[in-house]
Amino acid sequence: MLKILIPTLMLFPTTWLVTPKWLWTTTTAQALVIATASLTLLNWNSETGWTSSNPYLGTDPLSTPLLVLTCWLLPLMILASQNHISPEPISRQRTYITLLVSLQLFLIMAFGATEIILFYIMFEATLIPTLIIITRWGNQTERLNAGTYFLFYTLAGSLPLLVALLVLQKELGSLSMLVIQYMQPAPLCTWADKVWWAACLVAFLVKMPLYGAHLWLPKAHVEAPVAGSMVLAAVLLKLGGYGMMRMIIMLEPASKNLAYPFIILALWGIIMTGSICLRQTDLKSLIAYSSVSHMGLVVAGILIQTPWGFTGAIILMIAHGLASSALFCLANTNYERLHSRTLLLARGMQAVLPLMATWWFIANLANLALPPLPNLMGELVIITSMFNWSNWTIILTGGGTLITASYSLYMYLMTQRGPVSTLIMAVEPSHTREHLLMALHLIPIILLMLKPELMWGWCF
Amino acid sequence: MNPYVLAILLSSLGIGTTLTFASSHWLLAWMGLEISTLAIIPLMAQQHHPRAVEATTKYFLTQATAAAMILFASTTNAWTTGEWNIQEMSNPTALVLITMALALKIGLAPVHYWLPEVLQGLDLTTGLILSTWQKLAPFALIYQISPMMNPTLVIMLGLASTIIGGWGGLNQTQLRKILAYSSIAHLGWMMIVMQYSPNLAILNLILYITMTTATFLTFKNVASTKLSTLTLTWSKTPMMTTMAMMTLLSLGGLPPLTGFMPKWLILQELTKQDLPLTASIMALAALLSLFFYLRMCYAMTLTIAPNTNNNTSTWRQKSSQTTMTLSITTTLALALLPITPAIMALTT
Repeated sequence: MLKILIPTLMLFPTTWLVTPKWLWTTTTAQALVIATASLTLLNWNSETGWTSSNPYLGTDPLSTPLLVLTCWLLPLMILASQNHISPEPISRQRTYITLLVSLQLFLIMAFGATEIILFYIMFEATLIPTLIIITRWGNQTERLNAGTYFLFYTLAGSLPLLVALLVLQKELGSLSMLVIQYMQPAPLCTWADKVWWAACLVAFLVKMPLYGAHLWLPKAHVEAPVAGSMVLAAVLLKLGGYGMMRMIIMLEPASKNLAYPFIILALWGIIMTGSICLRQTDLKSLIAYSSVSHMGLVVAGILIQTPWGFTGAIILMIAHGLASSALFCLANTNYERLHSRTLLLARGMQAVLPLMATWWFIANLANLALPPLPNLMGELVIITSMFNWSNWTIILTGGGTLITASYSLYMYLMTQRGPVSTLIMAVEPSHTREHLLMALHLIPIILLMLKPELMWGWCF
Repeated sequence: MNPYVLAILLSSLGIGTTLTFASSHWLLAWMGLEISTLAIIPLMAQQHHPRAVEATTKYFLTQATAAAMILFASTTNAWTTGEWNIQEMSNPTALVLITMALALKIGLAPVHYWLPEVLQGLDLTTGLILSTWQKLAPFALIYQISPMMNPTLVIMLGLASTIIGGWGGLNQTQLRKILAYSSIAHLGWMMIVMQYSPNLAILNLILYITMTTATFLTFKNVASTKLSTLTLTWSKTPMMTTMAMMTLLSLGGLPPLTGFMPKWLILQELTKQDLPLTASIMALAALLSLFFYLRMCYAMTLTIAPNTNNNTSTWRQKSSQTTMTLSITTTLALALLPITPAIMALTT
């Protein structure tokens, strides 16, 4: 763990001491080295599943894929922000990179924590850098509103969680994930217990976000600069799924009945947010709603609590993390050239940037879950386990898959095909940096097809 | 102000508070409170404009009322029980009266109305003294009588202060009023845990004083008393504005900053006492306060245009204000959470 944490900490001096000319190159390189080093965590060989060098930090098959994804994303975020941040004064560039690095630091500790309170503190600590990234470096004035929504939705969900965790600690005497799974869970029969059950999960359901508590997400995504959108879609939402999987094992007997309304909301949300995507005019908003739709499937998979449901949820989280981050990067390449997120204004980009059209094609196929890609594996595993849980869910999950395919194709056709809009003039050609960025997103997706057991979690 | 007069005033301010700290007899404690009230009044009125004089009058009237109530209640207690010792109070009427009088002195919720008005009329240095040093003496008395106080009254004072402190600050644009409401909300947190773990309340007071000192000194350094002037500070002192934003979020209690520590420990204590509902209400009331801190952050640091300014800033003289206290308190206000166990060992 320290072999990742300490180099990440050392990114701060790197950022502030390196000469301005080499700022972006050096930080990207160092972040990439950290990402490569984090891959060694995937080689776990302990019998208990936990690999930990001390009682407070450790990894298991559930947290490792997400941790590696976090480390992988930092160099990509730095690469993606390079173009729109480098015109700023040097101290602001350094501040921006510092924020991204601190986000990675908090996320590593969140995924690596074995103590639930430490996880909670790091879960909350990610709010500050994200808030600053959204509200300081966003482009429109609506970013302030987006920041407020982001902060208050998350906090209103997670403060009850803090109280619930403290109550749990009072009853069990420990909040260590290593031992808590072997303890006698609370019987959960009174009304107060049911409220406690809800408090344990609502924070994560808001973070996921569950349909109904999702309004902060499209705002935050639309207003955030590209790195903010990337990390939000790829990792921060996954904190919710991860936290849910950690908490739900302790809520065992009550979840069976109490989870129904949340499963219904999640499944209904797949259809609803998918339909919202179909008539979306704003590119980033479309991708954001598509995230909500995919996360609905993850929530449903976790809440039915079958091994397949959990496995599918992790696979979908990882695959969706890479695919949606790639889509946000592509949206940003358009935005940097046309200065608009509106789908109507950016038509026929295939003729202008043909190689980018290839990346759009692959990223969209990943988003709509084309057969060999891990996105399909995740969706299929969740849909199967949902079908096993109740046959009727196939109407909603299957319908959701169809709608996902439709809006992905709609997005692809709107942006790439057709005649070039007459409004588009003097577009910069695509940079090598952007191609590298896309390749680094999509190569892991393709490689994961070859060894999917890396992200199967507990169940392989 | 004449330096000799200032020295006398400041030392009597110190003596008054120390006298209250050191006394076990109600009359001496009352005397100490009166001395520190009388010592700060010339400091408050040193600017001769109507706003300051009005604030001074209001402060004098409320503090005199509170002191009279304390005198009356302690006399009643001595009359009925024959006991002048602070820690040996037992007459319930006198206890309720004294609790309310001390609440009036530090500005807890149902009797808080004077605090924003008074603070708004003062300059930032006197305001700093008012919201830090002047809380100490009444707080020492509350600490001493806390085991005997009426629990319902204490909980109601605590809850009302947190909620009203959060609510009242929402619509303010004046920094000193916002800080006054922030003080009310923080005192509510201290009050709620007063009877369960008085040391935790002291810890919260110390951390609140640290954070609020950092905030007051920042505002003094940039000479800003309104949200609208706060928006201009980033071009003058970019680093300090950034730190001030973090300090404000720390006051709001966001992890991983220091401000989260007292909230965390108090919520833990409340759940240990089987009061999860109270804990949840407190936690959610903290969101109200967080909203106005966030608004100040927006105004100060986060609403700079994303593009760079083409103008270079105009020439200005280097500030001659000392920043040592500011930098120390800011550091403490941001980075104490990781050493929570050590701080716990020191205070409890």
